[in-house]
Amino acid sequence: MRTVKQTIPHVFLMGYLLVILYPFLFVLFSSVKTSNQEIAASPFGWPSAIQWDNYINAWVNAKISTYFFNSLYIGILSACLSILFAAMLAFAISRMRYHRTSALLFQLVLLGMLIPNNALLLPIYGMMRQLDILDTHLALIVPYTANAIPFTVIILTAFMRSIPGEIEEAAVMDGLRPAGLFAKIILPLTIPAIVTIFIINFLGNWNEFLLANYFLSNDALKTLPVGMVGFRDAYNTNYAQMSAGIVFSVLPVMIIYAILQEKIIEGVTAGSVKG
Amino acid sequence: MLHGAPFFFTEVTMNKALRNPLTYLLFVLPALLLFLAFFIYPVFTAVYNSFTSWNGISQDKAWIGLGNYTTALDDAAFWQSVKNNGYFILFSCLIQVPVIIIFSLLIAQVKKLKGLYKTAVFLPSIMSTAVIGILWGFIYHPDFGLMNEALGLLGIEPVYWLSDRKWAMLAILITNSWQWTGFYIIMVLAAILSIPAELEEAAVIDGATGLQRALRITLPLILPIISVVIMLSIAGAMKAADIVLVMTKGGPAGSTDVMATYMIRYAITSFKHGFGNSIAVLIFVFTILITAAYQLLVARRVERMDSR
Repeated sequence: MRTVKQTIPHVFLMGYLLVILYPFLFVLFSSVKTSNQEIAASPFGWPSAIQWDNYINAWVNAKISTYFFNSLYIGILSACLSILFAAMLAFAISRMRYHRTSALLFQLVLLGMLIPNNALLLPIYGMMRQLDILDTHLALIVPYTANAIPFTVIILTAFMRSIPGEIEEAAVMDGLRPAGLFAKIILPLTIPAIVTIFIINFLGNWNEFLLANYFLSNDALKTLPVGMVGFRDAYNTNYAQMSAGIVFSVLPVMIIYAILQEKIIEGVTAGSVKG
Repeated sequence: MLHGAPFFFTEVTMNKALRNPLTYLLFVLPALLLFLAFFIYPVFTAVYNSFTSWNGISQDKAWIGLGNYTTALDDAAFWQSVKNNGYFILFSCLIQVPVIIIFSLLIAQVKKLKGLYKTAVFLPSIMSTAVIGILWGFIYHPDFGLMNEALGLLGIEPVYWLSDRKWAMLAILITNSWQWTGFYIIMVLAAILSIPAELEEAAVIDGATGLQRALRITLPLILPIISVVIMLSIAGAMKAADIVLVMTKGGPAGSTDVMATYMIRYAITSFKHGFGNSIAVLIFVFTILITAAYQLLVARRVERMDSR
């Protein structure tokens, strides 16, 4: 009886696991099948013969390498810039002695969390056109950097406030000025929070679709999500090849997740409670 | 000297060292300018442009007052998109939330494989929505998609998931909750695991069954986090756009349009920029109204129960 009781939750959970993981397995199997006919004939089954050509064709046709590096560098650069600017602001708010101005600034930034950013797509599109940077990577890097600022400032300010004041007193006695205090003392102490926030910001940028879809039209500049959708629209008759493309775009995230899952889960869920 | 320094001395030195207007300005300015340019300024331009018939390119903007708003509010397709945002919210509150609660309770209970469940359940929420849309488009394929093959085993006729008006919205809602349910499960799970073990133990001694413990002890204690989950689902539902664009582009015949995709269609695809901005403002207003209503009607009560 006892063992039955203990197995029941596992039965349900395994069912849930199947629902989550089977689609990935389905794509993985389909990606090495010869044709749509083979997928249709045995959607649940192993491929009869492994067809690696799909991967080579998808890599070439879907220009995965181009999109992949575009996404990678835009994602990393924007995440780093947001963290740098937000950390500077957070330092000024939390450690420098302009308490009233700082409280006001912090409230203003909090306000930003309430603004639904999808609704701002059009005005930002207009701004990018006026700046004449539509269809360049700057049209993504600048908005991505800005979009992450409110959340990053809030988390970093909370973290920097918790650093004990004695540390900076000692540093000031040793002759450090605010800029030095920021770069040599406070920033290094904030690294744990920065790592978590970097992951959240990077994943957000890596997965972003709306701006990337409408602000860039040159194929060579596209990011991975947009490139993949374009690839699907162009090759939607060859599902085996499309599956290989999906594997390519999902794999890097899976690998990062396998290595950093604790940090990612902690960071992303912390990030969500911002509202 | 350092340790012997009287309090006022350090305080004065610290104030002097940490009050430097130029440095303060330099530290504040980059983030502040970006924030003003990308959060505050766009809200004002959106509101201003929503009163014009601007096409997004030309220099002249004709002021047409509330014209765009009356056009939108008279358009059946707009209300269809509002309804679809509503379906997003209803689906998450009525179907997703119970599933989230049940599975987070189950994961909290098991001793073995807890790590595996957490890892797997969370996986879809870190993936790009675009790629998930592509993947599920394949699963929904009428001829060789997984869904119809599985239903075929039960003797159900093939369904044209994404091209049939009856099913397209449901298909999108299923995909959306497939992506996000696990994310919320992890949030609720964290709240359950932080409940002190003594409470549970005391209930066991009092002879409470597993179900009684879940309903009487765990559930009341996690109500605040469930309230947060609902708030986040509402916010997510109002923002939904990319999943619809990737899976159906709002079709067939506008039946899966949400407000954001409706806005994009008019503003970017057919150059009715002023009109698009009025939709942006409406999204804004609806989001605030729903959030405020939820806070007043539900969240307050939950907090009161929590403080009891």
